[in-house]
Amino acid sequence: MSSRFFRGGDDSSSESSSEEEELYTDEEEEEKAKADSDEDEDEDEDESEESSSDDDGEAKPGASRFLRDASSESEESEDEERVKVKSAKDKRFEEMEATIKLIENGQKNGDWASISTEFDKLNRQVAKIQDNQKTPKQYIKTIAELEDYMNEAVAKQKVTPKKMNATAARGLNAVKQKIKKINKDYQPQIEAYREDNDGFMESSDEEEVAPKAKKTVRIADDFDQQLDDDIEGFATVGKGGKTLQFTPESIFKHLRTILETRGKKNTDRQEQIKVMEKLNEIANTPYQKIRVLLTLISTRFDLGSGGATSMPLDHWKAAEKEMTALFEILETNTEYVVVENAEEWEDDEKPPALEKDQKYIKVPGSMVSYVERLDDELTRSLQNIDPHTSEYIERLTDEGALYNIIVRCMLYYEYLHKQGDLDIPQESINRIITRRLEHVYFKPAQVIKILEDNAWKSVSPKAESTITPRAQTPEAGNLVNVLCTYLFSHAEGILRARAMLCQVYFLALHNEYYKARDMLLMSHLQENIPNFDVLSQILYNRTLVQVGLCAFRQGLVYDAQTTLQEICGSGRQKELLAQGVMMQRYSQVSPEQERLEKQRQLPFHMHINLELLECVYLTCSMLLEIPVLAQTGSSPDIRKRNISKTYRRMLEYHERQIFTGPPENTRDHVMQASKALAAGDWKKSIQFIHNIKIWELMPHAEEIKTMLAKQIQEEGLRTYLFTYAPFYDTLAVETLSGMFELEASKVMAVVSKMISHEELAASLDQVTSTVIFRKGVELSRLQSLALTMSDRASSLIETNERTLEQRTQGTSNAFERQGGRGRGGGRGGGGYRGRGGGRGGGGHMQRQAGGTQFTGGALGAAVRG
Amino acid sequence: MEDIYAALDGENILPKLASQLSRHLLFPLIEFEAGKADEKGDDAKARQILAGKIKLLEDTNMADYVAELYKEANNASEAPAEYTKKRNEVIAQLDKYEQETARISELLTMEDVVTNLRSDKVANLEFLKKEHKVTIEMVNALYDFGQFQFRCGNYSSAAELLYQFRVLSTDNDKVFQATWGKLASEILTTNWASAVEELLKVKEAIETNLYNNTRAQLDHRTMLVHWALFPLFNSDTAREPILDLFFTAPFINTIQTSCPWVLRYLIAAVITGRSRTRNSSQNQKQMKDVVRYVRQEAYEYSDPITEFVSALYIAHDFNAAREALARAEQVCRGDFFLAATADAFVDAARHLICESYCKIFSRMNIRDLSAKLGLNPDDGEKWIVNLIRETRLDAKIDSREGTVVMNHPPNNVYQQVIEKTKGGFFRTQVLSAAVSK
Repeated sequence: MSSRFFRGGDDSSSESSSEEEELYTDEEEEEKAKADSDEDEDEDEDESEESSSDDDGEAKPGASRFLRDASSESEESEDEERVKVKSAKDKRFEEMEATIKLIENGQKNGDWASISTEFDKLNRQVAKIQDNQKTPKQYIKTIAELEDYMNEAVAKQKVTPKKMNATAARGLNAVKQKIKKINKDYQPQIEAYREDNDGFMESSDEEEVAPKAKKTVRIADDFDQQLDDDIEGFATVGKGGKTLQFTPESIFKHLRTILETRGKKNTDRQEQIKVMEKLNEIANTPYQKIRVLLTLISTRFDLGSGGATSMPLDHWKAAEKEMTALFEILETNTEYVVVENAEEWEDDEKPPALEKDQKYIKVPGSMVSYVERLDDELTRSLQNIDPHTSEYIERLTDEGALYNIIVRCMLYYEYLHKQGDLDIPQESINRIITRRLEHVYFKPAQVIKILEDNAWKSVSPKAESTITPRAQTPEAGNLVNVLCTYLFSHAEGILRARAMLCQVYFLALHNEYYKARDMLLMSHLQENIPNFDVLSQILYNRTLVQVGLCAFRQGLVYDAQTTLQEICGSGRQKELLAQGVMMQRYSQVSPEQERLEKQRQLPFHMHINLELLECVYLTCSMLLEIPVLAQTGSSPDIRKRNISKTYRRMLEYHERQIFTGPPENTRDHVMQASKALAAGDWKKSIQFIHNIKIWELMPHAEEIKTMLAKQIQEEGLRTYLFTYAPFYDTLAVETLSGMFELEASKVMAVVSKMISHEELAASLDQVTSTVIFRKGVELSRLQSLALTMSDRASSLIETNERTLEQRTQGTSNAFERQGGRGRGGGRGGGGYRGRGGGRGGGGHMQRQAGGTQFTGGALGAAVRG
Repeated sequence: MEDIYAALDGENILPKLASQLSRHLLFPLIEFEAGKADEKGDDAKARQILAGKIKLLEDTNMADYVAELYKEANNASEAPAEYTKKRNEVIAQLDKYEQETARISELLTMEDVVTNLRSDKVANLEFLKKEHKVTIEMVNALYDFGQFQFRCGNYSSAAELLYQFRVLSTDNDKVFQATWGKLASEILTTNWASAVEELLKVKEAIETNLYNNTRAQLDHRTMLVHWALFPLFNSDTAREPILDLFFTAPFINTIQTSCPWVLRYLIAAVITGRSRTRNSSQNQKQMKDVVRYVRQEAYEYSDPITEFVSALYIAHDFNAAREALARAEQVCRGDFFLAATADAFVDAARHLICESYCKIFSRMNIRDLSAKLGLNPDDGEKWIVNLIRETRLDAKIDSREGTVVMNHPPNNVYQQVIEKTKGGFFRTQVLSAAVSK
């Protein structure tokens, strides 16, 4: 129990100074140790002391103060040491003089940036010298002059319209603050200097006084501190004694000290928060309250700033409450505004008052950043909670409160924006609207309605928004539309793109497939999404998937498959949608990357069900692939029409299995359904598909099942025709319609379509209503190989031509013309059909114009940002 | 306007067109509706339309005509004084403009001045300024006068004035406006050849003047598409360039995004133009494209004409196609643009039905086929015989059984290989020549 021992020592020191000296010299080492262990609490005391004792005003880390004391004492007691120190002192003086010189130079040039840095240095050096002696006169002189010069500069800056450059202005501000503080400490000396410049520099009579005074104060400090330590130890006792220090007048001083320690190591934020909570209780003017709350909230956020950990729950809740309170204060006291571009108020003694030509008292701060931070913290904590626990759900309920704050913040900024003279940047409003949108877009309409109702209940009934009028918002589609339209017209770049994606997502979620698709295509995002940041790319992927699912719900199998292809075909759905980290087998992932990726993960309630996604994708692939497989049969150009590689691979794997048991998971179901479909057994196929449990997660599951059954019937018919055409001369339509339980007219339509697309070499006989298959169209192996060969040859020529064109970059115009003629000559008949529109801008443009293809996309880039 | 809309039946797309046309261009369409109402003897409707006409033209300078209309509408022998007042105002204004532009107009008719003009506008203006004291205000007066004449319904002189203005003015925006004005004037004077010329000028101006403003481009193109319908259906020579224009990527995009109802006219033009064009492969390509657009736009626009296309080419449902054709015929007859070509359209559409029918069926009943074409069996048989003769289809009629037998020759695989490799040698030669260059 060393600490107790030292306390004893301290006690004795208060009794007699000589004893104390001995003690200190003897046990200097231990003292240091103690300083380290106690520094946290000391710190706090330090700050409160500062306000009471003028002499010991400088905020210095506790540890160094102890060291300083110790060395000064030891120096006085031991005379030999004095000599040694003297030389060191000289060196320090030299250093100081050099620094002062630099500052003077800076003054001549008006280079505030360098003055600021040099001034910091000077302060440090002086502190060292002070340990040994009284404050050097040169120092006093310098700071006195600097203050004059600074006042001059500030005055000048106010008069001239020309702005200082940013670094210089920052330097000036820093110096201004520091000098104010320091000069207070050295007030008597400076005054003396001002009165009589030369005389002050000459005189040396004060030499001994300073250290002595210092010492006594020091002792008193230690005593105080001791007292406080005790109080801390027995917390229930003199709490009142402690709060006595917090008077409404001293609030700003406390805040300043807290702000200064911000970001430094070893500051005890919890303690600061406690202090500020008390300050908040006693704050009685709106200005004080605003200031305290602003600092308090930002300190709370600092708690969670360490990497992956999120802010503690109780602090989040407290921050949320405090922000609500803050908004209330700001709403009732409209003369105070919190804006980002306000100047720091320097005078701690008196709060700023409304001047004549001022309409507002500006308090520096950024509400939108606070709201964003609060939002981020909630997301982070949701990321860390296991989604299958009740804790997650409890935490999720906080989103309602958060949404209320977002709405409030938006109202507040709208209000600020309307006050034209405040010059609120458009960007802040855009940011807050984006946040609101991002809490809304992935939710079903009913949920949004509840959120909105609560939000409007939480604000005062008078409040009205021009962007999202109260009357309009309960209707979710309207709300999203209004928010997005606002962003379209006022934001640009990423925010705008995000707004677009959010709206597309929302539309897709609410089954507005065509609107969603058209918007997505018109946004042209698929071309430039790789240039966006990773989070936007993830949003793009999510939107794409949602559009695909929407197409599926509408029964548009082809559209659904092509849309989902890019995400689902990659086999990296988890990463692309930020719904889980994939195990990387071959590539090494640095911990840094892994951490980033973890941070990007979406909270569970935003997830798109991956299994459902896979199920949809595989089912669509099945409906498209099985007829194609049947059509191409064993012909050599089998690879030509490969719709989904993933599906093909699974199918092959499935077929290789020696024994296939009853299906267990979604994938098994689809594979067995595919097999049944390929064999023409459509009823079995439907059964397999219907047995998939996960359809239940879709809204209107029954309708979707019916839709699927219908599709399977049709595709079954097509597959059957492809597979068995070679073995029939004629087939009665009636038979087919009986076999597939389709209407005769439907069968006719399907067959007609196949014939007219030249997929099936057959014709219909209207009189007997039969399908007549043409003979002699199925090719022998040699014939089909010859056809493939000729195809390859012509594509080779084409590739050559294109390569040359690229190399010469179209400069070989002659070639282009001749080539065109050449091709014209070669155009014999149907032989070139495959190339139609492949070349030439026109065909390409048209395809782009209305196609349902989503190309581009965010594959690689979304994974490794 | 509402008066007129109220008088229309549901199928009519006039309201959609109206927003994109100028008052003057809209007028013939409304006349047409009035004519329809008259034919039917529907007095109430005719009255409504008449009232609408007055409203439509009230803002123009055609005071005389409006007064006439008013008399007709109210059975009054005298039009109210305000019309006379307006008339006087207009005439006064007209005089004023005439005086303002007298000098420059005179100049432009003088031989020696015109011969001195070059293609360089700035130099021209400079020349006129120096030699004849022409100011920029005078040139602008030409524009104002042209606009005024146009509003008076004096289209040919408007066209002339705007032409003169365009020759002299260097103000790009005004020239652009003047081109629009001239286009309207040419259309209204049914001067199709120069209308097409102006049309292409406007198209180019849209591309250059509104280079950075995609939204304005879209709006202007939408308007242009609508205005182009006038020459498209009224002049044979205008048909091809305008269709080509419509099928270029920017314009087809415009149609798809902002005015899918124009698809009706596009389809009609393509189908009707089948028999007329010399270039059948191009027509086939256009047909294919149209089918694709109809399929793409099916979710937001359909009328009997698009239904016909989608039934025939997408669903392959011949019964539905026949029904749609019958309705499409009605629509055509009731449409200002399509009325004149309705018969040609129906005829060409029958061809199409028959064509795809023959492609799919190898043996068909004449009775059924005739029914599908909307003809009685005798006419149908005649029609089919004509068809076989014209298109040299490989088909025979078996009159005992009342069937048509089609012969689909299978595509010979050796022939295919030969065709595929035909151009290879030549292309390789060209390639090697290009490399060695």
